[in-house]
Amino acid sequence: MNDPSSLPLTPKGKNNLQTNTNNAVKKIQSIQNSKFMKLLRPILGVVVSLYIVFRLYQVLVVQHEYGPDTWTRLLISGLIIGGVYALIAIGYTLVYGILFMINFAHGEVMMFGAYAGLYSFWAFKIIPVAGNPPTNFLNAYPILAIILAFLIGMTVSATLGYFLEKIAYRPLRKAPRLVPLISAIGASIFLQNAAMLLFSPQLRDVTNPEILRRGAGWTIVVNGSNVVLPYTGVFTFVLSILLLVGLYILVRKSKLGRAMRATALDKKTAALMGVDVDSTISRTFIISGALAGAAGVMWGLHNGLVYYFVGFIPGIKAFTAAVLGGIGNIPGAMVGGLVLGIVESMGPAALGIDFQLKDVLSFLILIFVLTFRPSGLLGEVLSEEKV
Amino acid sequence: MKAMKFLAVFMVLALLLAACGQAAATEAPAATEAPAATEAAATEAPAASGAPEACADALGCAVFAAGDVIKIGMGAPMTGGNASYGIDISQGATIAMTDAGNIDGWTFALDAQDDGGTAEGGAAVANKFVADPAIVAVAGHIFSGATAAAMPIYEKVGIPMLSPSATNPALTTTGSTVFNRIAFTDLNQGNNAADYIFNTLKVKKLAVLHDGSDYGKGLADIVAAQFVKDGGEVVIEQAITPGETDYTAVLSTVASKTPDAVYFGGYTAEGAVLVNQMKTTGLDKAIFFGCDGTYGEDFLTRTGANGEGAYASIAPASPDSEAKTKFNAAYLEKFGKEAGSLSPYTWAGYDAAAALAAAVKQVAVVADGKLYVPRAALVAAVRGLTNYVGLSGTFSCQSNGECNVDKPQFVVVKDGKWTNAQ
Repeated sequence: MNDPSSLPLTPKGKNNLQTNTNNAVKKIQSIQNSKFMKLLRPILGVVVSLYIVFRLYQVLVVQHEYGPDTWTRLLISGLIIGGVYALIAIGYTLVYGILFMINFAHGEVMMFGAYAGLYSFWAFKIIPVAGNPPTNFLNAYPILAIILAFLIGMTVSATLGYFLEKIAYRPLRKAPRLVPLISAIGASIFLQNAAMLLFSPQLRDVTNPEILRRGAGWTIVVNGSNVVLPYTGVFTFVLSILLLVGLYILVRKSKLGRAMRATALDKKTAALMGVDVDSTISRTFIISGALAGAAGVMWGLHNGLVYYFVGFIPGIKAFTAAVLGGIGNIPGAMVGGLVLGIVESMGPAALGIDFQLKDVLSFLILIFVLTFRPSGLLGEVLSEEKV
Repeated sequence: MKAMKFLAVFMVLALLLAACGQAAATEAPAATEAPAATEAAATEAPAASGAPEACADALGCAVFAAGDVIKIGMGAPMTGGNASYGIDISQGATIAMTDAGNIDGWTFALDAQDDGGTAEGGAAVANKFVADPAIVAVAGHIFSGATAAAMPIYEKVGIPMLSPSATNPALTTTGSTVFNRIAFTDLNQGNNAADYIFNTLKVKKLAVLHDGSDYGKGLADIVAAQFVKDGGEVVIEQAITPGETDYTAVLSTVASKTPDAVYFGGYTAEGAVLVNQMKTTGLDKAIFFGCDGTYGEDFLTRTGANGEGAYASIAPASPDSEAKTKFNAAYLEKFGKEAGSLSPYTWAGYDAAAALAAAVKQVAVVADGKLYVPRAALVAAVRGLTNYVGLSGTFSCQSNGECNVDKPQFVVVKDGKWTNAQ
């Protein structure tokens, strides 16, 4: 150890570390392929599915506790939260697809978007508009105000994503894969505390325009009982689906999308073919930041409360959603987000367990997916480098 | 293999560091019992330098040199969703410190620290206070969970507590000598609330929710038990995860039981979200019945029109005495808000701090230009509080530390304001 060049970040150390990681990967693979695991997997799978079927039978058939109206309500809240998860999960997946790293600061990018939306709505509320009776910009031109708030939120988050990559990840591009991951966790903690100092640790209430006020919505009758479709919820869900479809088209059809896919497949070859890898990566961060910003503004509109920690749990949940759908896979993130949202809202009721355990349920899914099907629901298209 | 060696060395160092950190953490309270080593010169002066006899026992005295300030601690949630409680109560207590005057020139000051209202925060603040020799007493903590965690820490060094607002019944059953409170207990609050819901509001089917905290769950259990005893039916009892902003799923399952009212044991942060989301989850006709944790201005601003008809319970307002009017004016002038608008405990906060200052005055001894506050005598003096007339009532502490037997007052939101319920 008297040779200072053996620190892990210098080339020599890096090689060592890489070999170690490779060894570790091989070890994990050999454990996964061992007789024990081969036996364990089907047994565990059967036990878990039997238990779930038993609980479902108990709750749905024997106890028959909830009517169709309750299930509709649960489905509605699941789809709304699932749409937001999907939007955030896309950010994880896009970045993983290109850089093979988990951007753990992504939830904080969303949080800054939520704050941007919050302050935009506040500002619009203050701008007076003449009329009879005199009103404010927020309620006089609500649609314009909402569009502006989303643009501001998405711009703030996109800018943050851009600089996050430039400052925290780009200098570590050539470092072993663990290093940018640690940098991402550091960035996440930094951004949380920065927001706490900038915006104060208090909870802030989002002022909605009158047409999108919280606690109101369309009423449909299911099984003789009124089920409310909240305005903010429908708006959130529709907008997330639109953004997701837009993104899918962008990645599939546009030149930038082709560059992104090429970079994801093989950076070196893409560069040889004339793709500007650095700018493609920057743009990926801008896009995922913008989507997270939109998710943040929606979160504020629908749930109404914003504070510095607001991005943490949705961020972790969205990561779970991305893994569930198959990390690196764009439709997978969408499906994963929606499935996770629905499992969270319907799961505790369906299994007859306490609602406090819904987080346990979603993280159990993460563990099971990682153990039994690491490639996720829709499977991941692995390039050489990722393996 | 050099990297491996490096890793090994690093791991050993990390382990060592972790071990040291832990040792320091666990030793902290012990160390303060005998600050003799470090602080003796200035503060915990031994008998040799002419300390009065009262300091001869194990707990010793807090010693103040000329110019020092006597500090009364307070652990309160100053940040987060329930910050209004901590901010309000500490502001009330600050005024008490000014009103307390001085003992031969030694003045009082409030040291309010943020414990977030959580057990972990409560223990952290308590460890900080016992390490500070100038802290003689604690007006707190504000939330029950934080209080329960802090009690054993103060017990060791003899710092008396007088909480204005920790209402969990179990707190006074642990045999603690240092803990006292001027808040009503949740046994009292819960039983009365259940009777009120059943008899006055004529509710037959009640859903009970709580946030899983010492306070919230304790209160919810009491209400559920008493409501059943009264002859009502508790259709569902559910715990929610505190700190979330979407409870629509749990409210939907509550709605499937068609309760006439929803009782919630917990705090404003979650209570306001529940009230908002009850409107869209099929509970729009059910009454929301909160507790002393869901009262305050924050609840009104966060719920807006959705909050109309929501109930809460508060400490009964004592008649407006001259002292109370004077305090209200001072509070308004200093903080720009009406006393009692942020939380129901503004006056109790003042009373707790003022009563502690009075107890300190009672036991303090001045000798050789120094002020000595014997800790054991102070603990006894606070427990011995009899017929203390405060702004929020008259208090006499029983042997278990309960100093208040008042019933709570129920309030309801009417036209965007909290008004006394019939």
